[in-house]
Amino acid sequence: MPETVATGEADVGGISSPKGGVRRRPLATRGWRLKDQPAAWLLIAPVLVLFGISVVYPLIDTIRLSFFDIRGLAPAKYVGIGNYLTLFADPGFRGTLVTTLTFTLGTTAISVSLGWVLAMLCAFTPRTTLPFRVMIFTTFGISEAVSGYMWINILRPDSAGLLNTVIGVFAPGFSHAWLGDPNTALWALIFVASWSGVGLPLMLCLAAVQSIPRSVLEAAYMDGARPAAIMRHIMMPLSMPGVRVAIFINLLGALRAFDIIYVMTGGGPVRATETVGYFMYRESMTQFKLGYGAAATVVLLVAVLVISIPAIIQRTAGAR
Amino acid sequence: MTRNRSLLPPIRRRTVLAGAALALLTSVAPTALAQDISGELVIMQWQGGTDLEMWHEVEAAFIEMHPGVTVREFVPAGGQGDARGGMRTAIMGGEVVDIIINTWPAFRVELMTAGILRPIEEQWETFGWSEQLGDSWKELGSIDGVPYGVTYTYGDRSGIWYKTEHMEKAGIAEPPKTWDEFLASFEKLKAAGYGTPVAIPAKYWAHAEWFESLLLRTAGVDFAAQLARHEVPWTDPKVKEALMKFAEMLEAGCCGDVSVMLANDLDQSYAQIFRADEANYLLIGMWTNSTLKNDYGLTEGEDYSLFQFPALGMGFDDTSSVDTKELNATTNGANPAAADAFLDFIIGPEASDIMARYGYASPSSAMDQSLLGPAQQIATEAVANSKVQFVLGDLLPGDLVDEYRVQLQRFLQDPSEANIDTVLAAIEAKAAVSY
Repeated sequence: MPETVATGEADVGGISSPKGGVRRRPLATRGWRLKDQPAAWLLIAPVLVLFGISVVYPLIDTIRLSFFDIRGLAPAKYVGIGNYLTLFADPGFRGTLVTTLTFTLGTTAISVSLGWVLAMLCAFTPRTTLPFRVMIFTTFGISEAVSGYMWINILRPDSAGLLNTVIGVFAPGFSHAWLGDPNTALWALIFVASWSGVGLPLMLCLAAVQSIPRSVLEAAYMDGARPAAIMRHIMMPLSMPGVRVAIFINLLGALRAFDIIYVMTGGGPVRATETVGYFMYRESMTQFKLGYGAAATVVLLVAVLVISIPAIIQRTAGAR
Repeated sequence: MTRNRSLLPPIRRRTVLAGAALALLTSVAPTALAQDISGELVIMQWQGGTDLEMWHEVEAAFIEMHPGVTVREFVPAGGQGDARGGMRTAIMGGEVVDIIINTWPAFRVELMTAGILRPIEEQWETFGWSEQLGDSWKELGSIDGVPYGVTYTYGDRSGIWYKTEHMEKAGIAEPPKTWDEFLASFEKLKAAGYGTPVAIPAKYWAHAEWFESLLLRTAGVDFAAQLARHEVPWTDPKVKEALMKFAEMLEAGCCGDVSVMLANDLDQSYAQIFRADEANYLLIGMWTNSTLKNDYGLTEGEDYSLFQFPALGMGFDDTSSVDTKELNATTNGANPAAADAFLDFIIGPEASDIMARYGYASPSSAMDQSLLGPAQQIATEAVANSKVQFVLGDLLPGDLVDEYRVQLQRFLQDPSEANIDTVLAAIEAKAAVSY
């Protein structure tokens, strides 16, 4: 029996020749067939075209726009890296970088740590805590604009504000304009964004905990470990993959935050809550300086890439 | 192929005939065209609330007059009260409209410079618009003497709204006429249980209204116009003087906690005064009349009214800040005849009367003045007797107006003389690179 050569083609269509070696013949005996690689490209072509139109083209065009000075409907003027130089010399933009960093780290830290702790607690009695988890996850499904309007009413400075009313029960006469005070406006936004985002870390961390083999937990019980010890030495370390994904998703979401800021504070008071995302909108849409706004977009894109590329590499490595 | 070729000549003949017919039609006087207009009229429309209700009524009346015309509205994406971003996006995206509703003189210039606006000098003569609109209104919608806009409504921006019940409770028989009377009324209102005599919604832009009226009253319309064009610096002592007057008002205890001002937008200030009875005065535009009548269900002249900005006695008390809305016709609109007819209609008696019923004043002499309510009549009379200046914020370049509003927020946080200097220096620094 002649030895067949294990090639890709032989796998799919090669048959043994009486003269030895391989006589290659397509599987289909009629019509024509594509080789594997062209066929693969053909199959992914629709996705590539869509990706090109919806992602690659806007991305390239945004980068192109960032090299132009465009003001309103006036003709565009090429300025090279002028917009970037202006951007980093602009104290307003530098302020938005600090605000963005505070907002991003604040919301990620609060929502992920809260979600993680809740997941640990829920993991002990998953069935009875189901309605509770559904309620928390629902906040993740509410549009940020809607939750923003709801929180404006909760945080409003007059007697109709729910938060002031509740605090007023314990401290009569208490009143504070949470969104009007530059010292509290950003933290109010961080709190609201964290409230809105805690559902996802909860679900991700719980899923990670629930994937811990039952035998590990049973062995711990058999060895006499108490619930606190099981949580600390087994559940917490083994839920880390879920925490990492939650951190990654929250960081990206918070970096690009816009809706909740637009609705609740409009970047104010005195730009205290203006993030890069809102700055980008203000420059591009209200002042219609499209080139300058595009430069801010590219800076934000770089920040997103800096965070996401290591995470993607790590996830891909894990998949191998 | 052969069949196609044989079909071509008849099509061409028809095209030539249609072209000839069109040429014949366009040679007819515009008045004749206005009578036989038809087709779709596209209007770039960005208003909301009762403004929109009023506008729909105006459109319906136009269609009734010209049954052959259908009106389609193109509504650009909006954003916190400034529709220009959405309008620019739509125009750059190739949206073709016949008419643009505009309230920003600087935007008119931008549109004209980009070749989007059609001059309407010829139509002004043919339709005889000078009979309805005085020269000053024509000038207001012109660029370098060429008219591009037909102003169809205007509003007093130096009128202070109040709830009559509050004044009665505070024992204020008549609205304050002078600055001193105005400042003195704060104590009376506070004694009557109102904690915040003046509501200043400073979240976005409305806090600038006080500065703009004060600037007119301390330095006059000519100076304000020069400042808008940056022919004088923001660090000029006259600008500082206006802010010092503003500081005087804040120090007199007008407005309560600055954080509350910075947290509140206009809707919250309306509610503060006209629903919660927590504040008393509000300096804001004439659309308030429509809001209070239609949204709050209050009766003009009975439940609420307005008084003109108090006299400062500095030689410029005959000045008022105003805003307007105008219609601009486009160069690429598909139905210029219908657009011209609509421009003519908007300053006619039917449209003016609809606006008056909604609480808006038209500059057209065709408007029946008796339809205006008591508050609107006070404002109309005040504007008629004033030297007017367009709202300063709408005349400034985009990035400057943003800085201007933020710096005025900083002023509210600290109205000291030292901070006034800092604030004005910051605006001037931005102005230096904005023109």
